Amino acid sequence: MFLSPEIITLSILNALFLIFGTIAFFNALKIVRFYDKDATTQAQYILEKKSYLSATIIKFIFYVKIPLFIFFIYTLDDLSNILPGAMCAAGVVNATVYGTPLLFLKIINLYIFAFWIELHKEDMENETQPYVKEKFWLYIFAYLFLVAEIVIESVMFGSMDVNSVVDCCGKIFATTSQSYLALLLGAPKTLLLTLFYGLYGIMIVAFVLKNRYLYALSNLFFIALSLITLIAFFGTYIYEQPSHHCPFCLLQSDYHYVGYVLYIMLFLGTFMGILPALLPSKKEKQLFYFKSSLLFNSLYTLLVSLYPLAYYFKNGVWL
Amino acid sequence: MIELKDVSKSYDAKTKALESLNLHLREGEIVVLKGVSGSGKSTILSLIAGLSKPTSGEIIVDGKKISKLPDHFAAAYRRDNIGIVFQKYNLIPTLSVYENVLLPLFPLNLAKEEMDKKAHSVLKKFSIEHKSDMLVKNLSGGEQQRVAIARANINHPKIILADEPTANLDEKLSLEFIDILRELKEKQRTIIVATHDPLFFDLDFIDRVITVAHGKVI
Repeated sequence: MFLSPEIITLSILNALFLIFGTIAFFNALKIVRFYDKDATTQAQYILEKKSYLSATIIKFIFYVKIPLFIFFIYTLDDLSNILPGAMCAAGVVNATVYGTPLLFLKIINLYIFAFWIELHKEDMENETQPYVKEKFWLYIFAYLFLVAEIVIESVMFGSMDVNSVVDCCGKIFATTSQSYLALLLGAPKTLLLTLFYGLYGIMIVAFVLKNRYLYALSNLFFIALSLITLIAFFGTYIYEQPSHHCPFCLLQSDYHYVGYVLYIMLFLGTFMGILPALLPSKKEKQLFYFKSSLLFNSLYTLLVSLYPLAYYFKNGVWL
Repeated sequence: MIELKDVSKSYDAKTKALESLNLHLREGEIVVLKGVSGSGKSTILSLIAGLSKPTSGEIIVDGKKISKLPDHFAAAYRRDNIGIVFQKYNLIPTLSVYENVLLPLFPLNLAKEEMDKKAHSVLKKFSIEHKSDMLVKNLSGGEQQRVAIARANINHPKIILADEPTANLDEKLSLEFIDILRELKEKQRTIIVATHDPLFFDLDFIDRVITVAHGKVI
């Protein structure tokens, strides 16, 4: 195990999240069991105060956790300078068996935490606070994911060995290996691009029809297809190398940190696209989610599409 | 209009400010809550204003359950419906009379001209317009109270709560305050005055005098 300033920062924050998150968790258990919004008993008024306190704690944990994901990715990228063999965050993720599950868990948690914040906002905007029980049920569920994330993250950092040579992204994302990833990367580009742009088209149709379920579904698939096409196709144009499929190198200064812009747009677009199907908000708010989602997804699509087009106009050939 | 149902309030395990209190006030009624210090009068006002929540029981104003409102909704309810005159006036000493009176209007995002019009109208009504540019710390007790009343009335609240309003005034100024109350009563405002000043107990325009002792109505 080794400690870099970034790992120490993340560990201290994780400890704080665990302490305050656990306090909120025990309050959440009481709230889902005993909260009765019509009751005027002493116990109910105490629960209302606890609900306000716990929701504030949870809100601040998630407010910090969401942007902290960017710092976590930055940390992984930074650690690649220490781990022998690693050229970017991909090598660090692949250095232990915990890296890949942790990354997936963190992405899932991003959506859960952000959804909790929106549900809480919706609850607080209504004077009868209609979603108190729902948001604490969701928190109980989210807490388990939060703890799992903290535990796996600590174990991952704890089991990293600076003396072992790790694989670089060139090897991890090679199309010649026998892994499922290689199979995916080797899929016909035309098929992947047809699916990607076809899905974007479905999204626009769902937007015009204001069909929140179809729109949310298309956004769910859009997350997966965007990542696959980014690794298999668009990334190669960002790097201008046909065999470079790493989703992490584009977070580096060599590529003007474009990865951060792409991932943030993809998250905002898809999150706000899924939201209208899950949250029964007012019509104007739903429209805001729809519009923001389409804006970010369109910007993402436009930006990734610009790279191959720019390459073609510059060089007169496709990769 | 105002209903307190089985309301209890404890500030800590030993101090019970109110105990299973029931009270019903009609619209346009002017009520005096009479009782010694510590009897629970101010607590009743604070609960009706939504400044604090009961330990148990329910407070309903105009059909709205005030005791169940989240804090930011309670603040909005107070801003729209309640005018409070505090015993020590609670004015900001470093602001002028005009600025103090204007304070409740800021969250409403009104145009400057409209705010100005409302402020001058209320200052005139309570005969303090000639001092509008003076800092409130330089005013006498009676003048400060007029400012406090003007501030409480600038939003034309339906309910006016006055907590020991004459505690710092001499008899002449107290009688002036009573005249103002009479005027407000004529405008159909619901008014609750918490006081132990005997001047209020035999006034002809007072609808009811309620005695509060040890957190209970007697």
